[in-house]
Amino acid sequence: MIKSALLVELARFSRRNTLSAVGGLVGLSIIVIALAAPLLAPRDPLKADFRRMNKPPDAQSFLGTDQVGRDTLSRVIYGARTSLFVAFSAVILGTTVGSLWGVACGYLRGRFDLYSQRIMEILQSFPDLILAMAISMAIGTGLQAVIFAIAVTRIPFGGRVIRSVALSVREMPYVEAGRASGASALRIMALHVLPQCIAPYLVLATTHLGAAIVIEAALGFLGVGVPPPTPTWGNMLADSITALVPPWWLAFFPGLAITVTVLAFNLLGDGIRDTLDPRLSPAFLRMMAGGRRG
Amino acid sequence: MRKYLARRAVYAAVTLLGVSLSIFVILRILPGDPLVAILGVEGHARMTPADRVRIMADLGLSDPLPLQYVHWLRDIAAGRLGKSFFRGDTVSELIAHRGPISAEIGVLALFVSWLVGLPVGILSAFKPNSVPDGVARALSILFIAVPGFWLGMLIVLASLFWFGYKAPIVIVHLWENPWQNFQIVIGPALVLGLAQGAYISRMSRSCLLEVIGEDFVRTARAKGLREGIVVMRHALPNALLPVVTISGVLLGFVLGGSVAVEQAFGVPGLGRALVIAVIERDIIVVQNLVLLYAVIFVVVNVLVDLSYAWLDPRIRYG
Repeated sequence: MIKSALLVELARFSRRNTLSAVGGLVGLSIIVIALAAPLLAPRDPLKADFRRMNKPPDAQSFLGTDQVGRDTLSRVIYGARTSLFVAFSAVILGTTVGSLWGVACGYLRGRFDLYSQRIMEILQSFPDLILAMAISMAIGTGLQAVIFAIAVTRIPFGGRVIRSVALSVREMPYVEAGRASGASALRIMALHVLPQCIAPYLVLATTHLGAAIVIEAALGFLGVGVPPPTPTWGNMLADSITALVPPWWLAFFPGLAITVTVLAFNLLGDGIRDTLDPRLSPAFLRMMAGGRRG
Repeated sequence: MRKYLARRAVYAAVTLLGVSLSIFVILRILPGDPLVAILGVEGHARMTPADRVRIMADLGLSDPLPLQYVHWLRDIAAGRLGKSFFRGDTVSELIAHRGPISAEIGVLALFVSWLVGLPVGILSAFKPNSVPDGVARALSILFIAVPGFWLGMLIVLASLFWFGYKAPIVIVHLWENPWQNFQIVIGPALVLGLAQGAYISRMSRSCLLEVIGEDFVRTARAKGLREGIVVMRHALPNALLPVVTISGVLLGFVLGGSVAVEQAFGVPGLGRALVIAVIERDIIVVQNLVLLYAVIFVVVNVLVDLSYAWLDPRIRYG
């Protein structure tokens, strides 16, 4: 019963937002590729093969090989793992922290809200990529450091949007009723305000995925991301330009993977936003979501 | 208005103070000894304890943290930004030498974004859901998704292939050789400008469509004005405000993006200096450059806010 209702919803969603549905489908396949990387990758992404270095795409390695003979296709496939894992973790972490903080600000108001807003303002005073670089430099460039660094740049977006939702929800009669019947602030926030924030939370999370993927790739490209030899799309691009004349396949395919993935999640995000939260104007959220990406 | 100006300035100053404090805290929580971070474990072990003490004192890193922070602020006020640990040059020299190139790229990117984004947005809004509108929207979705540094790499690669392009190694300033300077900055500016232009065209399209639905536009049409005049003279000025806002927000995109795009084009700008400093863990350089980027971002956004009063006479600041 629930299953068929979900299918009906999905069908309606794809009828109304064909492009987003395509984006979602592409995004889903990329996630599947990332999960099934060991099954799909033709070779070990870390294994160098000195007999086959710098080979252009051919029948043996469809996307060519790099300077030490590693298979580009396998590395792109495994790269999806790291890139998506970092982006998803960072967005979920950052948006969740930001949203919870936003709920507290919007509901409690007063001095707590005032100071919190100043902190968010400070966080938003840094260009994303530069803040992420500084943080990952400070806490060391490991996988967790990169996730944490990107997550911090996502906090103020969640904080701002969810705070405004909480501000309007707290004035609703049912919340007042809760207060009148003596519920604690914590209880009201958790049981009455938070559920109202789920839709904007989902919108925020999906619209920020693309930005997170680009920041992760840029960090890798600049040599301050997930440390090599872990294949990430950004690291692969960084590797490719160490050559005097970079082989085109090394520069092209990882970037194409980034672009297709970002495009897919952006399109999906647009559709989810239109469906879940038609009140938020597209332009506004676009600005909140992507305006300051690295 | 003057009162509002003063309030905005105070707010911005407080924010920047917070920014400087957070940079300081972030960079000082570097785990362990900063000398180990800078020199690596081996380099650190090779030094005599006396050398270590001397260098720490030289860098001002042996003072208590609050004192270090106060000293930093004092030095900024005095215009002394300290110097790189690895090279002799001071941060001020670094900024004076590399800053102009990056600033040019940023300004040129802004021009490109408006020059491309606004006409495309207007064209789209003229005939919404037509074929040109569809093409423009598809392109803007694409340009938003393409990472600028990758586009830059592809452009460099293509020009290496076909035109024998060489990455600029030395900095050529505008006043030294304008043509060579232009060749250095045009690539990064185009890449950054087109991505921003995509946002601007989207924004101007949706804002124009909103304004075109309003009563005064109908009145303008009703009195027989040509459609071009209705849109350009009546609708456009009213739709511009959000476009200016987004341009201010997009500056963060340009500032951050330019770091990666400069790397892709091999342009020796400020962004590359920052990347090198981060990789070398040159704390003094990093903290000053990051602050510089934040200051530019904050100041420009204050200016954007102030421009509202000029663009929209309805807005009055008490």
